[in-house]
Amino acid sequence: MKKIIERALARGVERAEVFFYENLETDVEYEAGALKSLSDTEEKGAALRLVKDGKLGFATTTRLEDIDGLVDNALATAAEGEPVTFEFSEAAELPTPSITDERVKALTVDEMMKHSEDAIARVLDYEKQVNTDSATARRMQRIGVATCRGFEAEFERTAYEFYVGGLLIEGTSMLHTGAGYSGTEFGADHAGLAARTIDDIKRGRTNVDISPGKTTVVLTPRAVADIFLTLNLGVNGLYVDEGISPLAGKLGETILDERITLRDDGIRSGGYFSAAFDDEGVPMQETTVFEGGVLKSYLTDRRTAAKLHHAPTGNGLKAKRLIMSKELGKTPSPEITNWVMDGGEKPHDELMSEIGSGVLVDSIMGIIMANLAAGDFSGNLMYALKIENGKTVGRVKDAMISGNVYELFRDSVVAISKEVERTGILGGIGSHWYPYIVLRDVSIAAKG
Amino acid sequence: MKNRISEVLTKFADRCDYLEVHIEDTEESRVGFTGNRISELGRRVDFGGNVRALYKGGWGFASFNSLDRIDEFAGHAVDQARIVGHGTSQLAPVEPVIADVALDVKNDPRDVSLADKVAMMRAYNEQVLGFHDEIITSSLLYFDRYRRFWFGSSEGAMVYQERVDIGGRVTPVASRGEGSQSYSASFGGSNDFNVARGNEAGVEEACRVALGKLDAPKVKAGEYAVVVDPRLGGVFIHEAFGHLSEGDNVYENKNLREVMVLGRKFGKPFLNVHDTGLDKGYRGYLVYDDEGVPTEKTYLIREGELVGRLHSRETAGKMGERPTGSARLIDYRHPPVPRMRNTVIENGDSTFDDMIAGIDLGIYAISASGGQTNGEMFTFTAADAYMIRNGKLAEQVRDVMLTGNVFTTLDSIDAIGNDLACHDGGGGCGKAGQFPLPVTHGSPHVRIQNVVIGGE
Repeated sequence: MKKIIERALARGVERAEVFFYENLETDVEYEAGALKSLSDTEEKGAALRLVKDGKLGFATTTRLEDIDGLVDNALATAAEGEPVTFEFSEAAELPTPSITDERVKALTVDEMMKHSEDAIARVLDYEKQVNTDSATARRMQRIGVATCRGFEAEFERTAYEFYVGGLLIEGTSMLHTGAGYSGTEFGADHAGLAARTIDDIKRGRTNVDISPGKTTVVLTPRAVADIFLTLNLGVNGLYVDEGISPLAGKLGETILDERITLRDDGIRSGGYFSAAFDDEGVPMQETTVFEGGVLKSYLTDRRTAAKLHHAPTGNGLKAKRLIMSKELGKTPSPEITNWVMDGGEKPHDELMSEIGSGVLVDSIMGIIMANLAAGDFSGNLMYALKIENGKTVGRVKDAMISGNVYELFRDSVVAISKEVERTGILGGIGSHWYPYIVLRDVSIAAKG
Repeated sequence: MKNRISEVLTKFADRCDYLEVHIEDTEESRVGFTGNRISELGRRVDFGGNVRALYKGGWGFASFNSLDRIDEFAGHAVDQARIVGHGTSQLAPVEPVIADVALDVKNDPRDVSLADKVAMMRAYNEQVLGFHDEIITSSLLYFDRYRRFWFGSSEGAMVYQERVDIGGRVTPVASRGEGSQSYSASFGGSNDFNVARGNEAGVEEACRVALGKLDAPKVKAGEYAVVVDPRLGGVFIHEAFGHLSEGDNVYENKNLREVMVLGRKFGKPFLNVHDTGLDKGYRGYLVYDDEGVPTEKTYLIREGELVGRLHSRETAGKMGERPTGSARLIDYRHPPVPRMRNTVIENGDSTFDDMIAGIDLGIYAISASGGQTNGEMFTFTAADAYMIRNGKLAEQVRDVMLTGNVFTTLDSIDAIGNDLACHDGGGGCGKAGQFPLPVTHGSPHVRIQNVVIGGE
């Protein structure tokens, strides 16, 4: 990294910053209950940001033997570039979150296969008609940043990812269920995830009708994670700076129900997105975003922090959307790490028992296409169960949920569960900790 | 490079049933504006490859950036395949292709300077920001990629291909302080830089639509008759049917194979759908797929009946069907899987006026901000929409997300227009962690009855 900085400085640039990334990954995939493939990925690359004549240039390469080509490309872009408005990082004291796990490093392919095979066997033991898939992945990453201002550091990170899921087709009705884990440590409860998959099939195997209209909805932690994509964008420094976020200019104001406290925790032990520093060398941290419903902080990279007169929060990431891999070609911009919400008073069972009629919403399809930045969400109920007298009575299909997060989560929160569960986003990976949330008067569209 | 690939194939082929090597060299330029500043301006060089081995039905795969260690990766892929394989390898037979596909472009984006690309996007940005006070910011992106692919297989195929992929969008964002609304003008293509130029009329329309949405009420939830425009029709067929036609979604699932049996009726006799790699100039254009199989035009639905599927060699082999040249990968980090190219609903004989004239209360849904499917159910979002009242277009509405079910919605198409248009946007299709793959969609105006729409 130092060498790249030196080469750039030798070409007369005023400032330089290098990001280095290496990812070693092993993937085991099962399809229709059988081992399908074993894959290995070895990827490495570097990104260079430099400032020449006050203007910012950027280039990346996976051809690490051609450093001159990298510098040439960055210089070519700087010639047309934007005047730089922020500084690269200086040396800083870095946190030391727990992000490497020797158990992940020591995992063998045989062990990974065994975890998938055991989970598949559990699902098939319940119902052999379920077309069962499973995948296990192990990642070992090395990430480094160096700047001309004296920041130079790298860290190692491991990740373990596990998924088991099934597709049950009865007639022309398809029921997809699945559960997964992703984290920097080997923390998956494989049997528990298989049990969750089975339980979801059991509870969703019968289809029931629903009448359209406003109803009480119980959101599972997974559904909360999807709907909070709205809040993830709302506090994003980029959306705030551009005035797109409805939260622009509202620091210190009450935005959500007073029972809602949310943190972006980039140093949480075992968190999938936890790290020592972000992709521009800012120490990662725990940032309270909402406290008692009051907006406390935005999430920023170095540029938006400078612009908003806000401290950088260590969220300048080259995130490949929603997964831990790095999109080298992307410049760092504000991205969430691990979100954590405080639990409420009552256990989940008790909340459910108090619901006369409603819908338990677990998985929403298409939510990513809604106008999330405005707080609007909408999607097909991919996995949702009708609730009658405190109990789920069958699956609701071909229906949609819609709403605005800044209205519903301010005015319509009935209760928040005591339990807080680890979940990914959009049915995939990531580690966020959310409770079950009961909302009243949520719009459900359906036939009839 | 070809010699290096041949050496690897020769060295390791006898330890497996089938071996292939894919090497790729990509150069990309990107120019983005957000508000009044350049938000993205970069050049990317991405060089790497993969080796994929098949042994007794099991796959081993290794991807890498260090070409000098390719033997090590190849050996590893073969070892892995030998761990996985306990059955029979079934690849549909193809004639091994030996070919060089040189670039055939009208205007090569590499001949245009970065300064000119920045100036072009800056002009669009100024058009957007100067359009109206209530356009508070913008989001623009232009990219071009020049890619070289080398593919060799142990069956003797050796294909070298050069491809260009160009795309972008111009998105005005309008707001009055509480929530924002946007609409995109987008462009894309595979053989002409000029698709990026001359989009001023589209940009102006995007500004007008985004501003209009500030005054538009949210749609009321319910079940409506919907007329979709050609852009949304394309996304609709991609999500509603295209993905379910991909062989890998079907081949290992006995129950789904029974449901998706060729000859099953999905729509009315005037519904015809194909997916093609042959349309030059579109982003979904392909000469050979990433298994070295010549691409083609594949009928998926003819006269309302399922007649074909999109296959890789393996899914075709396992289903006893024909490979269709549809095995594609987004880059060397991934193996090829069956994907769409340019998916098209063919022309019918209705006119737009006929279609809306028959609707008392419905929605005219225009362009798409995306779509998603889980096989049976799908959703897609209209980027712009208008109510249809008493057979006439009425007020603009917003937040129109539609959902449907493949087993009922296709059969609810009761009119197809005669104004087919294909469209390339600057995005792409995502599947199995591989996003964004360049694809194209096409459709005429289409009327669909009884569509569930989410809303207030």
